[in-house]
Amino acid sequence: MTETPLAASSPRTILLPRRMRAADVVSALGELRRASPDAPLAFDFKDVEDFDASTLAFLDHLTGSKTVALPTNVPEPLARAGRTFARRPGARWPEEEQRPPSGTRTGRFLRGLADRFLGHVKVLGAFLAMFGDEVYHLGRYVKERKGVYPGETWNQMYFMGYRSFPIVCLLMFLVGVTISITSANQLKLFGAGLYIADLVGYAMLRELVPLMTGVILAGKVGAAITAELASMTVLEEVDALRTMGVVPERFLMVPRLIAITFVVPLLVAMADVVGIFGGVVVARAMFNMTPTEFLKEMINTVDWADFGWGLLKTVVFGWAVVVGSGFKGLTVGRSAEEVGRATTESVVLSVTLIIVIDCLFAFVIY
Amino acid sequence: MDIIAARDLTVGYGRTEVLCRVGFSIPEGRITAVVGVSGSGKSTLLKTLAGLLPPIEGGFEFDGRPVDYNSEASLSRLYEKIGVLYQDGALLNGLTLYENVALPVRMQYPQLPEDVVGDMVHAGLAQVEMADSAAKFPAELSGGMRKRGALARALVLNPDLVFCDEPSSGLDPITSRRLDDLLLELKERNRMTLVVVTHELRSIDRVADRVLLLNEGAIRFAGDYADLAGSGDDFVRTFFLRKDHHDDA
Repeated sequence: MTETPLAASSPRTILLPRRMRAADVVSALGELRRASPDAPLAFDFKDVEDFDASTLAFLDHLTGSKTVALPTNVPEPLARAGRTFARRPGARWPEEEQRPPSGTRTGRFLRGLADRFLGHVKVLGAFLAMFGDEVYHLGRYVKERKGVYPGETWNQMYFMGYRSFPIVCLLMFLVGVTISITSANQLKLFGAGLYIADLVGYAMLRELVPLMTGVILAGKVGAAITAELASMTVLEEVDALRTMGVVPERFLMVPRLIAITFVVPLLVAMADVVGIFGGVVVARAMFNMTPTEFLKEMINTVDWADFGWGLLKTVVFGWAVVVGSGFKGLTVGRSAEEVGRATTESVVLSVTLIIVIDCLFAFVIY
Repeated sequence: MDIIAARDLTVGYGRTEVLCRVGFSIPEGRITAVVGVSGSGKSTLLKTLAGLLPPIEGGFEFDGRPVDYNSEASLSRLYEKIGVLYQDGALLNGLTLYENVALPVRMQYPQLPEDVVGDMVHAGLAQVEMADSAAKFPAELSGGMRKRGALARALVLNPDLVFCDEPSSGLDPITSRRLDDLLLELKERNRMTLVVVTHELRSIDRVADRVLLLNEGAIRFAGDYADLAGSGDDFVRTFFLRKDHHDDA
């Protein structure tokens, strides 16, 4: 770098070298740091022929700087590269920074709120459209018996049912124990220990087993579905299926929907048994109630309708989990990091759907 | 005769136009290389021609009939006649190589007996010299083997047109050359039409009969590979000048 002596009123100009690299940029930045409003500084680019990204970043920095005169004599190739560099993703455009935000503060807030709301409505619309599509594809598969890989439904049943069975049973047993202990203390106060059977039976069959099974399915099955489908989307496997004449929404989703429909009743039945067994254990320990007494008392209160409603609810939850997680998996972007994000979002979506549907059921059942 | 004829075709994602109002044709029985710098829209164009991404504006004809993205029948007709070799193969990881190659056959013709499907799969794998690896899963195959396996899957139903997205990327020169030879063999022996999206100049030099050069949303050159040398366009000359550097290396 060479310095050009200039008149006192003019800024001090630094002539940049022909071949400019990061070391020259560091040196120029040092000069810039030392500059003050009393001793202004300018950089002359006229000799710069060979440059790299550091030069472009420096040029970009100078363009946005308020303490230095604009760069002068910038050769056309460098200026062209500089313009492209300034348009890089994440770059802040000077004119954007200077443009005052339009509208009042309240107006901007409301506009932002409306944009966000419309965004959510759009996603909801896409989700409902996918739900409708899946019902159509399931109907066509039942009618035509094609479009699904042979044996895939059994694979899914094995994964969703057999592989989920231990965790569902363990957690439902613990939930049965917890609800029994919690209520036992209150019942003891009123000398109504016998009613622990009614309480546990009713709560488990109608509410806790369906809800907890749904949540477990969301965490285990839903997350796995999203992770698998999102990876397939990112790796172009979904595109490959489409160009093979295969409809991915049928090929990938229908086996999972059929599997969940058949697996859930078995899981719920087992979970009911295990959950109630948790209650039996606590009743025996705290009230010295025999299993026969417990079951006799429980049967007085609960009936098959309670079991049926619980079963129906869980099947609907299962469908919500499969469609919700499939939606997240198939609408993922193209980068690997989006797979993780989609998986997290799918669990949140599935649990939200489960709770909303449960609330709607509460209005119907009670 | 042209297997693909595009007019005023604008392609892109959402409102972002990647290629704007372009027109070109893909002749039958030849290898057309779609080339351009990164981000010039090669893969986007391929996705549109393969029926995966609807055009923003305009359209194209496949085998003399317009492709209608709103018609399931029109897209099914397109999918029946094309095969696609994706950049990383896009074999389904949960299936063996045999099952991957059998997939399009089983899905399109579910009534075919399993022994016929087996014969078709073995013939397809033999064509790409992968018959010994039929029982392996994609994760057990090297990059080159995965691509050859994916090519077998793209060819198993004997399509009229095969799209290849960056077939040589990530491959060593020997494997890359073998893949190029395979593409040439398909053209010569099966009279197949191939569209190869690439920026590997050596590969273009070996296989391309025709070239579509894309840059900044437009087609800068469309014509026979042999005519490239006579182009007066600065960008065309600069782009293909790089070939000499590659060859020297």
